[in-house]
Amino acid sequence: MLYLSKLYRRARVAPVAALLGLAGCNLIEFSPNDHRVPEEFTSLTEKNLARLQARPLAAGDTLRFIFTGDSQQFYDEAKDLVASVNQQKGISFLIVAGDISDFGLAREMQWVDEHLRRLNVPYVTVIGNHDLVGNGRPTYAHIFGAFNYSFVYGDTKFIMVDTNGREYNFDGTAPDMGWLRPQLANRDGARRQVVISHVPPTNDDFDPALRTPYVRALAEAPNLVFEMNGHNHSSSITQPYNDGVTYVNSDAFSERHYMVVTVWGDKQFRIKRVKF
Amino acid sequence: MKKLLFLTLLLASLGAQATPAPIDTTTATAADAPPAGTPERKWFRPKHLVLQTGGGLGMVAAGAGYEFAKDRLETDILIGYVPKKYGGSTLSLASLKFMYSPFRLPVGEKFQVVPLTVGAYFSYTHGTLNDELKGQYSSDYYWFSTDTRYGPLLGSRLTFLAPPVAATGQPRKISVYYELGSNDLYLASWLNNQKGGLGFGQLLTLALGVKADF
Repeated sequence: MLYLSKLYRRARVAPVAALLGLAGCNLIEFSPNDHRVPEEFTSLTEKNLARLQARPLAAGDTLRFIFTGDSQQFYDEAKDLVASVNQQKGISFLIVAGDISDFGLAREMQWVDEHLRRLNVPYVTVIGNHDLVGNGRPTYAHIFGAFNYSFVYGDTKFIMVDTNGREYNFDGTAPDMGWLRPQLANRDGARRQVVISHVPPTNDDFDPALRTPYVRALAEAPNLVFEMNGHNHSSSITQPYNDGVTYVNSDAFSERHYMVVTVWGDKQFRIKRVKF
Repeated sequence: MKKLLFLTLLLASLGAQATPAPIDTTTATAADAPPAGTPERKWFRPKHLVLQTGGGLGMVAAGAGYEFAKDRLETDILIGYVPKKYGGSTLSLASLKFMYSPFRLPVGEKFQVVPLTVGAYFSYTHGTLNDELKGQYSSDYYWFSTDTRYGPLLGSRLTFLAPPVAATGQPRKISVYYELGSNDLYLASWLNNQKGGLGFGQLLTLALGVKADF
């Protein structure tokens, strides 16, 4: 009995002590570049993809997802976006086309996640130039995960690629064509594919030496529905190279619009812009 | 919780203002009139040494400081270190802190409480990875610096008055302190989000430190 009451008392104190300890640890920030965050804010890409795969889409089903970008320091907008997206029916997931953070800091990525984790659906990201500022590289890798990755959902393969050439001083590594080409050649059993990156090839921040190889690789990719970007803070759906490849640019959170994207068939799609 | 903390600090400082009586006479007299034969304190000799963790100035930051205006104003110069494991790369930080502590409340003969220290800091970080190489960006590409930070701080401290150094008669103190702070980038984010998207508490950082006057 004595033992039980002791255990009870300890059990009551433990969570409070743990909470204070945790809060203390987070508050004691070694530097704004300090990327220690609670475990729940790490490996978010992997965790969100696991959530997505737990709700598989039947083969042949139409896919619907939300496309947006550049959350940066628009936390008020993030809050409203989540409320709006949670009203949408038949959505599988949400994509943020880079610039999750404004200054490449761990706290910012955590602040954005604190909003987006309230979505009814999982979300995935691709890295943007702002996420690469300062020590953003190890920070993004720790909190979200890989800079280049792909996944198949339903009949669609999504290829997420780092195109922030200027952050690497146009050294020929971003986009990593050696990684991208085999990704485009092998759809991993999917019917169609989508490429998502932050900086569009039409932009000055795209590595000029890689622009032609990138655009050509996309034009040659079988069943490419479209290529999607952020960075411009302005939505557009165009074929700038007249090569049959559609480039879709997202609104930023600040523009208070997102896109509801529906994909079916070999490469059919419909895009609806929603104000929030 | 944090609002409560602020309120407590504010009340404490107001209380101190209401009772202006016994403000640290020991230190003042000892400093003003050193015993005969005491060697003059060189102007550049620091008044205290500091060791702290957090506050955005390093996992460990050590330095020295000076005191002015009857020790109510202080300047600390700190060198901080963050290992690669936590910062993404090994970081060294050079920081300058300015603090104003208007009140000192004696607690018994050997202790003092400094209920309120307000101040500001400036820090420069060396060793970040993507560090704006020359020509990497046009001049207004990013409006913020990745390496220089500044911000406000607010804290309290508890001071133990040690017996003076026997040889010189210099007064000695050992203080432990905490400081809540933030930085220019976090504050800018908060100012742009006044509709509940970002809470003020999310901006705060905490520093814990020890200061030894000698």
